[in-house]
Amino acid sequence: MKLFAHGIGGAKDLPIPAEYAIAGACAALAVSFTVLALAWRTPRFNVDGRPPRRAPEWVATLVDSSWFGPLLRAFGLVFFLYVGAAAIFGKDLLINPFFGVFFVLLWVGIVPMSLFFGPFYKAISPVRTINGLLARLSGSDPDVGLRAYPARLGYWPAALGLFAFVWFELVYPFSTELGPARLWCAAYVGLMLIGGAVFGNRFYEHADPFEVYSTLVSHLSPWGRDDAGNLVVRSPLANLDLTPVRPGLLAVCSVLLGSTAFDSFKDSGFWIRRIQSWEGVSTEWLNLSALLFFILAVGTLFALATMATGIKDGHRRLELPLEFAHSLIPIIVGYVIAHYLSYLVEVGQQTVIYLSDPFSTGANYLGTGNRAPNYWLTYHPTFLAVTKVGGVIVGHVLAVIAAHDRAVKLLPPRHQLTGQLSLLVVMVGFTIGGLYLLFGA
Amino acid sequence: MPRRRSRAATAAAAAIALAVLGLAGCSSADDTEPEDSATATATDSGSSSPSETATETKPTGVVVDITFEGDSVDPNGERIDAKVGEPITLNITADAGGELHVHSTPEQEIEYDAGTSTHKVTFDQPGIVDIESHHLEKVVVQVEVR
Repeated sequence: MKLFAHGIGGAKDLPIPAEYAIAGACAALAVSFTVLALAWRTPRFNVDGRPPRRAPEWVATLVDSSWFGPLLRAFGLVFFLYVGAAAIFGKDLLINPFFGVFFVLLWVGIVPMSLFFGPFYKAISPVRTINGLLARLSGSDPDVGLRAYPARLGYWPAALGLFAFVWFELVYPFSTELGPARLWCAAYVGLMLIGGAVFGNRFYEHADPFEVYSTLVSHLSPWGRDDAGNLVVRSPLANLDLTPVRPGLLAVCSVLLGSTAFDSFKDSGFWIRRIQSWEGVSTEWLNLSALLFFILAVGTLFALATMATGIKDGHRRLELPLEFAHSLIPIIVGYVIAHYLSYLVEVGQQTVIYLSDPFSTGANYLGTGNRAPNYWLTYHPTFLAVTKVGGVIVGHVLAVIAAHDRAVKLLPPRHQLTGQLSLLVVMVGFTIGGLYLLFGA
Repeated sequence: MPRRRSRAATAAAAAIALAVLGLAGCSSADDTEPEDSATATATDSGSSSPSETATETKPTGVVVDITFEGDSVDPNGERIDAKVGEPITLNITADAGGELHVHSTPEQEIEYDAGTSTHKVTFDQPGIVDIESHHLEKVVVQVEVR
């Protein structure tokens, strides 16, 4: 077989059957109004003052042991250097594992890893580790930079970084060539090291796109810390309720949800025929406009829907979108699972195979080189379609419950039901829109 | 309070059960899983063999006529259906030679010369496969392989 110069490629999932999309949409509607009509009327998450349950002793001992954190950081750094070597010294070929690590293991794998294990990227972040090593060399504290991180920036730098990533992945035409992808990563590492030097480790918590994404998703995991720093387990909904409300949170969520929706839309026959027959405007500009449209549509609809309610005296209406934005996280996770599951499983396996041969010399450093990916998921499109619809619906249900609890916490009693209605309609709209995109893929 | 909670829980459970039933009902109705498709072999079509072009082979299965002319290609991103393991025939008429990238798993490539030529391509996995003109960077057809 002749090898392609570059790219990830491969076949894409079949569209989900219409019946599944319709059944999913009906389930979303039914559950939403059930929650609205019958669920609790006083806030339930993190209000009763009871301490959260402590994590099992052996888990806490393991995670808090003196070697566990450094081990994860060492793993992250070694993996980063290994893949970095493939990016710098490897060839611009399909079999260079750098592409799969960047676009699949990192970008998609971040979601299940954070869902199961908590703030995963923070634990392995190579930029945090390098910043820490540099600080140790210069005898300073990596947590403290030259200046304090401005609170009003919040997550906005991360939203920009995430946009830069999705623009690169979905719009930029040469994203699967080695040079540009390497340049993107170099710019990321460079900016992160400068930011870390100036603002200390707090910078990564707010501005590292991958860490922010991972940490937000980790709020749907059971893992957390109490005020004293003990490892605790919470219900994912209680954990989600603790998502810090910071400027830019809605922007981050809009970029993540809007770009995933755009990725589905981009491959639809409708859009492909449309952009290919559009005279005079380049494909990149059309794709960029559509990507921006999806992101802005998510953010605007959500913001308007959360503000369309009566509010308590002294409560500022403009604060509402941020205070509800955490409820978008389950929708994002559900839709990412639906959209990227087979990609993660199958291209992920292929990437692990390619990782054995980082320089395309026929080497088999890790012993995975002579394996073949398992395409079970692709051969079971019905199972895959049910899983996709299930992911979207579970995400939707969690989102509706999270928003409901926040509404009874924030809104005056008179408006608690009616005030949620517009947000509920928008969420049902997102979910049905997502199912439609999976159906029309 | 607990009573209301349990009512809500029951209602939610009922709604979810209904949804699941709906899904299960659908899946039994449409039984398209190509279980034995794993046995289909990947026949790499590669470039056309002379025998294919010389004789009028009677085409079985899907036939796509593709015309390249300057910067345009017909069809323009059309959706076609195909079956796993069943070859589809591409009749290419081109004013210049070029390459088609077949984004199946694994990827395939079809090289064609100026003039008329016939090529066959087979897919051994279900999914959507874009067949893309390399130099135009345009999707010619999207094949829904089931």
